[in-house]
Amino acid sequence: MHLVVLLKRVLDPEIPQSAFSLDPERKEPTVLRHPFVLSVFDGNALELALRLRDARADARVTALTFGPRAAEDVLRKALALQVDEAVHLLGDENGLPAGRKARVLAAAIRRLPPADLVLCGRQAADWEAGQLGGMLAEALGCPCLPFVSGLSLAPGGFEAVQQVESGQAVYRLPGPAVLTVTNDPGNVLRPARIKDVMAARGRELTTIPLEELLPGTESDEARVETLDLRLPAPRRRAEILDGGGAAGTAALLARRLRELGAV
Amino acid sequence: MTNIVTAVWAWGGRVSAAARDLVQSAGTLAAETGGELGVLALGTGAQIAADTLRAAGADVVLTCEEEALDTAPGEAGLAALVAGCEVLRPSLVLLPADSLGRDWAPRLGYRLGAGLVTEVTDWSLEEGRPVFQRLVFGGKAIATMTVAGGPAIATVRPGAGRRDEPPRAGRGEARDLGLAIEAWPSWPRLLRRQTEERQGPGLEEARAIVSGGRGLGGPEGFEPLGELALTLGGAVGASRAAVDEGWAPPTWQIGQTGKTVAPDLYVAVGISGASQHLVGCSRAKTIVAINRDPEAPIFDYARLGVVGDWREVVPALTVALKEMLAD
Repeated sequence: MHLVVLLKRVLDPEIPQSAFSLDPERKEPTVLRHPFVLSVFDGNALELALRLRDARADARVTALTFGPRAAEDVLRKALALQVDEAVHLLGDENGLPAGRKARVLAAAIRRLPPADLVLCGRQAADWEAGQLGGMLAEALGCPCLPFVSGLSLAPGGFEAVQQVESGQAVYRLPGPAVLTVTNDPGNVLRPARIKDVMAARGRELTTIPLEELLPGTESDEARVETLDLRLPAPRRRAEILDGGGAAGTAALLARRLRELGAV
Repeated sequence: MTNIVTAVWAWGGRVSAAARDLVQSAGTLAAETGGELGVLALGTGAQIAADTLRAAGADVVLTCEEEALDTAPGEAGLAALVAGCEVLRPSLVLLPADSLGRDWAPRLGYRLGAGLVTEVTDWSLEEGRPVFQRLVFGGKAIATMTVAGGPAIATVRPGAGRRDEPPRAGRGEARDLGLAIEAWPSWPRLLRRQTEERQGPGLEEARAIVSGGRGLGGPEGFEPLGELALTLGGAVGASRAAVDEGWAPPTWQIGQTGKTVAPDLYVAVGISGASQHLVGCSRAKTIVAINRDPEAPIFDYARLGVVGDWREVVPALTVALKEMLAD
C-alpha cells in the first residue's frame, strides 16, 4: 500500500495582523523576517497517513512538496516523522494557474509507485483557495473525497469520515482517490523525536526539476487575475467595561447590551 | 451578458434558506448583466422545489433526481453539474461555499477549463464582468479577483452578494436534466450519516452565539458558556483551537474553515482573536470579548470588552441577563 501526502510550506498563519504587511506591487505579503511553516491542514493529512501506516506494516508513505529550494523544510519535517520517501518537485509554483499546478503534480505522482491514496490539506494557509485536491483528482482521473477527518482500513479499501455541516458522513472507498483533510482532535500532527529530527537532516531527497514535467501540461483554461490585495480597514478598539468586580461588570455589560439592542 | 448557473440541494423539495439566498443573489446579478439564471436542483423530489426556485429568481430549473445522488453526492452531483453546464453553457457558475459546493467547484473548474475563485464574500460588476472579493492569509488580507479568457466558477460564502431588494421572479421553466447516473465502483460510497443532536437553534440561525476558545483551558469551560447561551436563547460555538484540543465538536467551529455566522450578539470567551476566527463572526451585529489578556487582538475587533477571568464574568453575566430579561 502506498500513500502520497502533499505538503506545502507557507508563511506562518499565526503572524498577528499587526505584524502582517503587503507588497502592493507583487500583490503578495512581505515575507522578510517572517517564519515559514508546514500548512496546518497538510499536517493533519500527514498524521492520517502515518496512522494508517502504523496500522499496516507494508504501507509506505511518500511526502511530496512543490516549491523552491527552501520548501525542503517541510520534507525534512516529514522525514523526521519517519515517512519512507521525500520527493521535492523543485520550481516556482507561484504564478502557475491552478489547473496547471494540478497537472504538474499529477505528473510527479505518476513517476512514483502507484498510489492507493493521495492526501492533502483541505486548503493551504496562504491563499486559502481549497482547489488543489479536487483539481488533482481530475488530473489523476480518480475520485475525490474532501473534508476527511478520519481514515481507517476496511475490507476492499478504506473507510473515511467526512466532516459536513450537520455532523459526519462515513464513506467506503476502494482507492485510488484524492482525499482532502480537515482538522480534528484525532489527526493533530504528532511531534518528532529530537534524534529523528537530527537524522532527517542527512536523509536523501528525490528531486524532480519542474522543467522536466512542464511540457504537456499546458491547457487553454481561463485565467484568474488578482486585481488588488489590501489590508482590512482598522477597527476601533472595544469599549472596555469595568464595574468593579465580576457582578458589577456583568450588570454593566448587560445594560450596555440592552442599549445597543443586542439582547 | 452573464449567464449564470447555480446548483442547490433540493431533496424532498426542500431548499435551505442559504440556498434560496444564493439563488436570489445570483438572479439579481444575472439580471444586472441582462443574462439568465439556470438552477440545477439535485436530489429525490427536486421537482417539487421548482416553484420556490422560480420565486427566488430562476429562469430555468433543471432537476436531477437520480438515486446515485444519495449514495455518492459528491461524484454524482458533479456528473449532474457537468451535464447541466453542457446544456446551459454558463459564463459564471456560482456554488455555495459548503461541503458539496467546495467539493464540486475545483473539479468542475478543471473539466470546463474555467477560472475558479473560492470563498467569495462579495461581488460587483466592473465593465460588465463580475469581480469578486475574498479573504486570504487567514483573513489578514482582502483580495479582489476576476476571471478572464473563459468561464468563471465561484464558491460563495453565506450572505455574499446580498442586496436589499426583493427577488426578481424568474421565468422558472422547469424540466428534467435527463441524465442517468450510474455509480462507478471507484466512487466513495456513503455508508451512514451521523447527525449531531444540538439543543436550541443551529449556529447559522442563532440570534445569539457564545463562543469559547483556548482560554477556556478545558472542555468543562463550555458548560457555563452553554448556560449563558441558553439564557440568551442562542447557541454555543468554538474556535479552531478549542476544536483541535477536543473540547468541542468540529460542527461548532466558527471561522475561515468553520462556519460563518451572523447573529445579533456574538460573545467571544477566551478567544484571542486570530484573523481566521474573526472571518467567521465578522457579520455579527455586536461582538463582546471576554478575555484575561488586555493585549488580545480580539479587543481591537469587538464592540464591548471585559478584561477578566471568564470563570467569574460568564456566570455573573448569566445572572445579570436573567434578572434583566425577567423584568
